[in-house]
Amino acid sequence: MSIWLASNPWLTVLYGVIVLAIIAAVAYYTPWSIALFTFREGLRKKTLIGFLILSILVIFGSMFMTAMMYDTGGTVATDVDVKLIKDICITAISIFGVLIAIFISASVVPTEIENKVIYTVLSKPVRRFQYLLGKFVGVQIIVAVNLLLMGVLFSIALYIKEPIFPRMLLYAIFLTYFEFLIVSAFTFAVAAASTSAVLPTIAGLFIYITGNLTQYLESVVNRSEVSENSVDKGLGWLAWVLRNTLPDLQYFSLKTQILSLQINDTPKDIQIPNLVVYGILYALAGYIIAFWVFRRKEL
Amino acid sequence: MSVVIETQDLTKVYKGMSKAQDLVALNKLNIQVNEGEIFGYLGPNGSGKTTTIKLLLSLIFPTGGKMKIMGNPNITSPEVRKHIGYLPEGAYYPDFLRGEEILSYYGNLYGMKGASLKKRIDEVLEVVGMTRARKRLIRGYSKGMRQRIGLAQALLSDPGILILDEPTTGLDPVARKEIRDLLIQLRDQGKSLLISSHELLEVELISDRVGILFEGVLQTSGTIDELLTSREFSIKAEEAAPEATQKVREAGLITEDAVAGKASLRVPETMSLYQALDICKSQNMKIVSVSPRRETLEEVFVRVVGSAVSSKEAQRGER
Repeated sequence: MSIWLASNPWLTVLYGVIVLAIIAAVAYYTPWSIALFTFREGLRKKTLIGFLILSILVIFGSMFMTAMMYDTGGTVATDVDVKLIKDICITAISIFGVLIAIFISASVVPTEIENKVIYTVLSKPVRRFQYLLGKFVGVQIIVAVNLLLMGVLFSIALYIKEPIFPRMLLYAIFLTYFEFLIVSAFTFAVAAASTSAVLPTIAGLFIYITGNLTQYLESVVNRSEVSENSVDKGLGWLAWVLRNTLPDLQYFSLKTQILSLQINDTPKDIQIPNLVVYGILYALAGYIIAFWVFRRKEL
Repeated sequence: MSVVIETQDLTKVYKGMSKAQDLVALNKLNIQVNEGEIFGYLGPNGSGKTTTIKLLLSLIFPTGGKMKIMGNPNITSPEVRKHIGYLPEGAYYPDFLRGEEILSYYGNLYGMKGASLKKRIDEVLEVVGMTRARKRLIRGYSKGMRQRIGLAQALLSDPGILILDEPTTGLDPVARKEIRDLLIQLRDQGKSLLISSHELLEVELISDRVGILFEGVLQTSGTIDELLTSREFSIKAEEAAPEATQKVREAGLITEDAVAGKASLRVPETMSLYQALDICKSQNMKIVSVSPRRETLEEVFVRVVGSAVSSKEAQRGER
C-alpha cells in the first residue's frame, strides 16, 4: 500500500478533510502581515543565523571529513563515505533544525512584550488569537524555510558523492518538519505564558528530548510494574504520564531507513497521513494551550 | 457633546502573595473624555495613568468597574479598536524596517491595503514631518523621529480617539511646538484626545480638561479655567526700599521679585487684599498695579498632590 494512504480509504479521506479544514481556517484567520513581519524579524536573529551557518558548515564539512578519512582516489564514493555523510547531515539537520525551531518559537512573543511592540499591535483591530496565530504561522515559515535550506544543501552534498535522486531524504525532511511543528507549538505555548525566552527554551528542549525517549520511558514503565520499590513505582508513574501525554517524536524519524537503505528508495512501514494528522493535532493542541494562557495575559 | 471614553468605578488591583501585599493601582476611577476635546491626564510616576490606558486598550484587565468607548462596553471589539489610535510611551519600532514599511505593517493591521494605504501613509508622514525620512531605516532615526513615526502610526486609520502616552518625550522645543499645534489641529477636526503627560506646561497650553491622579485615585478634574482659579493677587510696587521689602515679607507677603526699588509681590490665599495693601502702604510703597493672579497648572498639580500626600501621611499617623 502507498505510504500516502491511511489504513483504509475512508480514514484517508477523513484525514484529508481534517488537514484541509485546519489549513483553510489558518489561512483565513491568520493576519498575514503579522506572519510575514515575524518571518522577516526572525531572519535577522543572530542566534538563528548562527545555527544555520553551523549546520551548513557541518553538512559541507562532512564531505571533506569523508574525503580525509577514506581516500578513494577522489573518483568513486564508497558506501561508508555516503553513510557517514548521511549520518552526519541528518544529525546536524535534526539538532540545528530543532534548536532554530525552539529558539524562534520561544522568543517571538516574549521579545515583543519586552520591547512593547505588542502594545501597538494589540491596540489595533487585531484579536489576541489572531495575533498569536500570525506569530505562530510566521515561526512555521521560518522553521520550514530553514529546514528546506538545510535539506537542499544536504541533497547537494549527497548528490556530489552519489548522483541519484534523494527521494528518501525528501520524505525525511517532510516528516522532520512535522516533528519540529510539534516541538515548536509546545514551546510557543510556554512562551505565551512567559515574559522571557529562557523558560520556553528549556521547555522546548525537554519536549524534544523526552519525545525522542519514548522507548526508554516504556521500559521504565515496564520495570516499575515488576518492581516493589516505591521510588521505582513513582518513576514508573511519571514515565507513564509523560509517555501518554507527550508526543512520540520517534514516529517522524527516518534516520534508520536513511542509513540502511539506498537514498533513492521509498521509505517503508510508515503511513504519512497518520503522521501528518498526528503532527497537526498535537500542534493544534499546543496552539490552543498558547491561546488559553494568552487570552487573559496582562501585558 | 457626547462622551467617547467613560470609566465607572474602574479598579485595578495587582495581587500580591498576601492581601497585605496587594497593590491598588486604580481605585474606583471615574473619568470622562468628551468628543472633540483634549483631556490632560496627569499624575506623578506610579499614580496609575498608564494602568488606565492599558485597561482602556485591554492590554490588562480590570478588577472591578466598567469602561465604555464610544458608548460601547465591548471595548475589545475590532469595531471599537478601529476608532482608536495609540502612542505608547517609549515604544520600540523594529529597526530593520524603514519608516514607511512600519506604517505599511500597522496599516495592514487596520485592514488598509494598496493605493489607499499608500495615500494615507503619505498624508500622515507629511503631518508628522517625516516625509523626507520615510525611506530611512528606523535604526538611523533619532529619539524624536521615532516619536514622530509612533505618532504617525497612531494617526494611520484617521481615528476619532487618540490615546497618547507622553507624546512629546524626546522632542526638541521646535518639534514640541509642532506636535502641540498638530494636537490642537486634530482636536479642532473633532477628534478626542486623552494625553498622559508629565509636561505640565504643555498640557496647560493645549488641554480643555484635566484630571490629576494620585495613587490610583482621581484627586481632581475639570476644565482648565475651573482648576486654575484666581486664588491670589499680584501687587506691583515702586519705591520699595530693601528694608521695606524685608518688612512686607515678614508680614506674610511673598516677594517674587525686588530689583532697583521695584517689587513684585504675591498675596497668599490666607491674607486679604486689603490687609496686603495696608502693609505696603505702611512701608511707604507706591502701588502701581493690583491684579488677580491665576495659578499655573504646575502649582495646582503640586498643591493637589501635596495635599493628597499629607492626608495619606495623616492617615498613616492615625493608625
